[in-house]
Amino acid sequence: MSGNDAMLNNYLVVGALLFALGAVGFLTRRNLIVMFLCAELMLQGVSTTLVGFSGYHGTWGGQVTAIFSLALAAAEAGVALALFVVLFKRGYSLDVSIWQDLREEDQPPVEAETAAEDTPQPAEKIWPQLTPSGRLPGWKPASTPESAEPVAVASGVEGGPTHG
Amino acid sequence: MDSSLLDLFPPILGASLLQNPQVLFALRVLGVLLPAFLGIYLMLPRGGRDSHVVRLFGGALVTLSFVLLVTFPLSSSEGAVDGSQGTALWGLDNTLECYTFHALAFVSVACAVMMITSRNPVYSAIWFAMVLLSNSGLYLLQQAEFLAAATIIVYAGAIVVTFLFVIMLAQPNGAARYDRFSREGLLSAVTGLLLSGVLIAAIHLVSRTEGRAPVADAAARPAGSVVAIQAAANPTSLLPDGKNPNAAHVAGLGKSLFRDHVVSVEITGLLLLAAVVGAMLIAGHRIEESHVRK
Repeated sequence: MSGNDAMLNNYLVVGALLFALGAVGFLTRRNLIVMFLCAELMLQGVSTTLVGFSGYHGTWGGQVTAIFSLALAAAEAGVALALFVVLFKRGYSLDVSIWQDLREEDQPPVEAETAAEDTPQPAEKIWPQLTPSGRLPGWKPASTPESAEPVAVASGVEGGPTHG
Repeated sequence: MDSSLLDLFPPILGASLLQNPQVLFALRVLGVLLPAFLGIYLMLPRGGRDSHVVRLFGGALVTLSFVLLVTFPLSSSEGAVDGSQGTALWGLDNTLECYTFHALAFVSVACAVMMITSRNPVYSAIWFAMVLLSNSGLYLLQQAEFLAAATIIVYAGAIVVTFLFVIMLAQPNGAARYDRFSREGLLSAVTGLLLSGVLIAAIHLVSRTEGRAPVADAAARPAGSVVAIQAAANPTSLLPDGKNPNAAHVAGLGKSLFRDHVVSVEITGLLLLAAVVGAMLIAGHRIEESHVRK
């Protein structure tokens, strides 16, 4: 086996590894942008393979095909990013799992979430509140003063500082 | 049916399956790749259960697998099928080209692993840029200067646009649920292991059984080969001779592109135009409030 042959094998192995890694990322990630990058990684693996064949055969054919795949990747990127804009406008999320009802209707839903809900979502914003200092206009006294107290507090929280 | 093809695909039910050197070779490749994909599985985001220690361990496994892949003689102990030495299998001779190749290949594959396992999409884009840079170095090693430059130029724009989208749409630091959880990580890692293992084993087995001649050298080119016929038909399709330092590289690529592949160039231009029009058509109109799903 000559050195040229071994170098071709090395390029093919690197291309195969990049392709497989891109496939793993595409299968397992849920962010649309990361999935798009993984598809580009698979294209990079194919380009590496083509360039290795070009150098091995001593012709321009592999490089020309790699240039065409570059143009193809650019076209794909344009359409994919436009799709991301539309999907984000409709769903306010980059998660692919919220679009799983695009499949046929009788398919069972994919449970993408694991059972662990351990990590907290970003907490709701707490706005400053004024202490209710009187009763609301139009508030009627309840029958008993024990029950009137929570009602007044609750309505004060709901109404916020409007009557303060 | 060719007999070498029969050697490549032995009968499954044969008792001598595990004595078959090619099956053994494929199993060795899978064994060498196993730590890498185990490490990738450990590095994938898995909600709140992942820690830095586990990620570092996974990275160490991936590095170990790469070192094994480069240094481990994958041929069987009795010698390879064609009698070559085990270390020559991966071209580990003491040339600068070889060391440069292995360094660039390691950077490329390691950055690809980091890209598919990072929680933050911004970091994914940065690691992908590193993959592109090292791939451009690999292209330079194979006399593909224009392709190296074009990759950096085209993908630099793509990466910047991806940054823009990440800043506009995504949430930083893996704050979103869909960045902290991966879907079916174990099955995906097994898929990647089988895919890359079968590909690598097939690459080496085919190159061993066929006994390819070096076709890049014009003198040693076999007379009836595809490359020889192509060289006789249109000489613009040939790379310039490596021994001539004054040979025009990019001009030769342009000649090949616009003489041999001119229809493909036109069709690619049409494709790009269609993609631009389609992107405007898809993203250009407003979404009514009733179509927004929560």
